Amino acid sequence: MGNLFFAPWVRMREGYRQRAYWLKKWEITWKNTLVTAAILAGVTAVAWMYHRLSAGTVNIIMFYTIALIFIPRFTQGYVPGIVSAIVSVGCVNYLFTEPYFQFDFGREGYPLTFFCMMVIAVAVSAVTSYTKEQSRMLAQQEKKLMEADKEKMRANLLRAVSHDLRTPLTGIIGASSSYLENGEVLSEEKKRNMVGHIREDANWLLNMVENLLTVTRIQEGNMRVNKSVEPVEEVLLESVRRFKKRIPDAQAQVRLPDEFVMIPMDAMLIEQVLMNLAENAYFHADSGKDIELYIDIGEGEVIFSVKDYGPGIAPDRLEAIFDGESQTGSRESDSYRGMGIGLSICKTIIAAHGGRIWAQNHENGAVLSFALPME
Amino acid sequence: MQTNGTILIIEDENNISDFIATSLRAQKFKAVCTKTAREGMELAASLCPDVILLDLGLPDMDGMEVIRSVRVWSMLPIIVISARSREKEKVEALDLGADDYITKPFGVSEMMARIRTAMRHGAILAGMGAPSEVFVTGGLQIDFGKRSVRAGGTEVHLTQVEYKIVALLARNAGQVMTYDAIISHVWGPYMDDNNRILRVNMANIRRKLEKNPAEPHYIHTEVGVGYRMEAEEE
Repeated sequence: MGNLFFAPWVRMREGYRQRAYWLKKWEITWKNTLVTAAILAGVTAVAWMYHRLSAGTVNIIMFYTIALIFIPRFTQGYVPGIVSAIVSVGCVNYLFTEPYFQFDFGREGYPLTFFCMMVIAVAVSAVTSYTKEQSRMLAQQEKKLMEADKEKMRANLLRAVSHDLRTPLTGIIGASSSYLENGEVLSEEKKRNMVGHIREDANWLLNMVENLLTVTRIQEGNMRVNKSVEPVEEVLLESVRRFKKRIPDAQAQVRLPDEFVMIPMDAMLIEQVLMNLAENAYFHADSGKDIELYIDIGEGEVIFSVKDYGPGIAPDRLEAIFDGESQTGSRESDSYRGMGIGLSICKTIIAAHGGRIWAQNHENGAVLSFALPME
Repeated sequence: MQTNGTILIIEDENNISDFIATSLRAQKFKAVCTKTAREGMELAASLCPDVILLDLGLPDMDGMEVIRSVRVWSMLPIIVISARSREKEKVEALDLGADDYITKPFGVSEMMARIRTAMRHGAILAGMGAPSEVFVTGGLQIDFGKRSVRAGGTEVHLTQVEYKIVALLARNAGQVMTYDAIISHVWGPYMDDNNRILRVNMANIRRKLEKNPAEPHYIHTEVGVGYRMEAEEE
């Protein structure tokens, strides 16, 4: 009963779906139809004007041929090209050949003209479809590659982070539970010592978390940052102040440029980069000699550098030091923990600013520098 | 018991409000804690605390609402507790009428310094303390009456605009002043948003005031927010 009642309606919908299927298969869309109609109308108008000025059917056929080359370029599939070939032949016949405003396919050579226009339309359609398909595939491949790259970076970061977070957390949990369980037998000095260690580890964790948070400021996907124009000296001074606050024993020499320069950047992120570099220099050099921070104005860019006096960087690591992998598994990974992440975050931040970052050795240590574009 | 003052703490994290209250009580302050903005607003009205410490991320309402509602009836000092990476939030809170902010995580000494500064300003606003005619911090000395500035014992020549900026920061020493607040005070409200002119002036001021501009002692930058003059010595 129900089937009977609904049958006509279902059939109607089926029919509609079938029609939609054909429309889709032949790529008869509004866009295609409109583009085709517009180009044909334009050519007809030009041809008409030309026809009024001088009578020559050959050139008018040329106009339509040009249109036939353009239509597949701006539409999808073969249908628009073929349809416009038919329309073109019809137009030439009806409008521009004697007898005017009459169809007369009996004239000599007409089937050949018709055939030629058809071949042009089909060939051009085929070529453009092929090129479009090719470029689409290329773009897709590139996107896949980029996503794989990002995925790799994220995985590296996560692995390094979970490895590096565990160490201070072990310290905090161990020291605090020892304090709570054995508090009565520990000397006052020992207790103070333990709480001091807890604070140290917690501070280190905070440093790490701030580093990770900065990465979230770099917008997902397009790797862009929110820039505002900031004076380079203020950013450098502020990061030195924060660096000294975090490591009160640290000393730093600062050299500012004489010129007052403002460049676009996310100041919070650049501050983080400078802090990481300064901290890296402090722990890496370990020589007791002050680290140096300075700004040089280059051509179209501002170069920030952090110089230390220490053992320098092994030449084979100079290239990879900012990649975040050089530390894992190596002997040094616990001596100044987490610096691998800090430096790879620096690279991410500078890359998002469209700048570059590099490491060099000098006679008595290392210089880590980055350059930001002025515009 | 004689107290140094009453502090209202509006913060939903138990651990944090506990630690703040404990350190305040150790310094002989009376500390009152609440977890919700609604209760905080009621307590602000009934207690009339000397300072409000306000966390912006509250469960029932945005902390900004608390600032707005308190500012309707009172100028009592509000110090916002904020996360570091949100400069916009800090600027918005300051523009709404908050007096200052501290960034999580903060130490006890930093918090106490901010509270003392805020209380001094609160007293001046309430007409109980006169603003001093001479401001001193470290080697910097500003005489508002004579409009003279001395750094490290020698007279410093500032331009009109530079003096205005320095005087404004000194009058609000210890508190952060947003770029917009300084610009509208010095150049008037119709100045455009471009704060380059302020930045340039500040660079010049630093070169004139600080013994070593690479290690500023008097005026500090709060990146993305504004400037802060070192607090006056007690």
